[in-house]
Amino acid sequence: MVGRVYAATVGAIFAAAAVLFTWNAWRFDWLRGYDAFANDLYATVVGTDFRLPSTAETSVWHTPPLWFALAGELRRLADGAGWEHVQRPGQLLAAAAGLAVCLVAFLLARTLWPERRVLHVVALVLTAASPALVRASAMYHPETLAAALAGAGLLVSVRGLRTRPTLATGAGAGALFGLGALTRAWALPMLCAALLALGLDAWRRGRWGPVVALAAVSAVLVGPWLVNQQVAHGDAFAFNRAAPATSLLERRPTSFYLGPHALHVFDRPVTPAFRNELVPHLYADWWGDWALTWDTPPPPAPGQLLEEGVVGARVRQNVVGIVPTLLALAGLVALTLLAVSRRSLAVGLLPLSAAALGAAYLLFAVRFPSTDGDTIKATYLLAMLPAAAVGAAFVVDSAVPRGRGWSIAVGIGLAVLVAVQLPFLVL
Amino acid sequence: MAPRPLTDARAAWLGLAVAAVFVGAQVAVAAGWSVSHDDPTNLELTARCFAREKLLQVEPTRDDPIASSASGGTLTTVVEGNLVTVAIVSHASEAERLRQAYLALGGDVESRLEVRGRYVRLWHRPPSPAQQQTANDCEY
Repeated sequence: MVGRVYAATVGAIFAAAAVLFTWNAWRFDWLRGYDAFANDLYATVVGTDFRLPSTAETSVWHTPPLWFALAGELRRLADGAGWEHVQRPGQLLAAAAGLAVCLVAFLLARTLWPERRVLHVVALVLTAASPALVRASAMYHPETLAAALAGAGLLVSVRGLRTRPTLATGAGAGALFGLGALTRAWALPMLCAALLALGLDAWRRGRWGPVVALAAVSAVLVGPWLVNQQVAHGDAFAFNRAAPATSLLERRPTSFYLGPHALHVFDRPVTPAFRNELVPHLYADWWGDWALTWDTPPPPAPGQLLEEGVVGARVRQNVVGIVPTLLALAGLVALTLLAVSRRSLAVGLLPLSAAALGAAYLLFAVRFPSTDGDTIKATYLLAMLPAAAVGAAFVVDSAVPRGRGWSIAVGIGLAVLVAVQLPFLVL
Repeated sequence: MAPRPLTDARAAWLGLAVAAVFVGAQVAVAAGWSVSHDDPTNLELTARCFAREKLLQVEPTRDDPIASSASGGTLTTVVEGNLVTVAIVSHASEAERLRQAYLALGGDVESRLEVRGRYVRLWHRPPSPAQQQTANDCEY
């Protein structure tokens, strides 16, 4: 791909993503996103009283406060300016963070393989056209900001590991991971992965400064929050419900792990089908809108019918998702093999961070089972997206000898992927 | 002999193979389940609710070609002495088709016909609120 075409393509994709995310954030009814009302109560308390909310004031008191502080301040300013929709600046903040996630994926690809421009473009498109990111970018919710900050921490770590980590690498990554963990706890497993990778690098080189800086800066930022949770609620990772008093192995039925109704993702991928079956539930929520909170009326009462076309649109999304999902899985495995084979911690940190987040999420979902499937949401795994997209792009760019013909075929494939999804992605 | 170095292409294809195994395993589990288990249909759930929770006698529908044409099936029961034929549809357009077909019969059908979501019910006499509630309780 020649330089001008590359620059124009990348610019056009970022511009299109910016328009899409902004349009959706502007149009999406803020109350349709999950936890929206509770989020607004939290943001109001932080923005007006400058304190953390109590357990009685909002059901999301267990979520770290950074996004709520920002959204609360924006809310206060919007209120002062006489805006009718005072939550909209918070949604636009989520949209901007969604765009930052796209930037992280693109820069990760560029950092690891600077010369492979097709790979950069594929990673960028797969990220920007990922329905879970598009939906989260319109919501009044901290998910995208956490994913952007944790992704940026990952990027700084990878850049350092690719050459030679410095104190600035460690401190910068620590600041980003720390802020990410102050937004959503999902950044913590990614921080642990970075600590492990930088720790192994320090072991090799005998230079411990960067990893100590990473640990120290992130601890300074997120430590007070975790201590507060431990002191106030008896658990640094407290949640808004008590965990059942049974062993972890008994908290979920076998169907949670096996997904026996997985084939229904291709005929009825909406609530209540395969509720609480981990893989199909996550898949249908990532590629479609399992809980029916996007562009439809709320889920109907028992016996009532969904509007015509609602199921069909989601079936189409789930069919479209097969190839990118397969590529993402293959990519994470391929990057793992590559990292082991070439002893590359920079490459290895991507699958390692994805695995850490996946394991942390699995533990959470098992620890806090819910009958309505409330603890299974694709957007909880959003921080995994840049690594998965880069992995998928690596497979696309490596499986077949590179050439002009293949580049054109990949371009057509990406265009089809986006075009088929547009009716769903644009509100 | 030195091991072959892992090229990018080889890593990619190995990744694809492992991913295919993961996806294949999930499909195999789901296919195996669907072959060996029959999840109850809405008709079966409705019949079970009438029989077990409302203690009604449920029978197959006879002599009602309109109800029998419903894609989700049909059943007949008697609620507080009022015979009702329940047809289950899949789409709003199908519900409308059944409604129009019943209305075309003429007479007092309109006062005996109920369309609620996927359920189209034709009562023998205009239903009382209590009879309607009993039927509504068994919607899925």
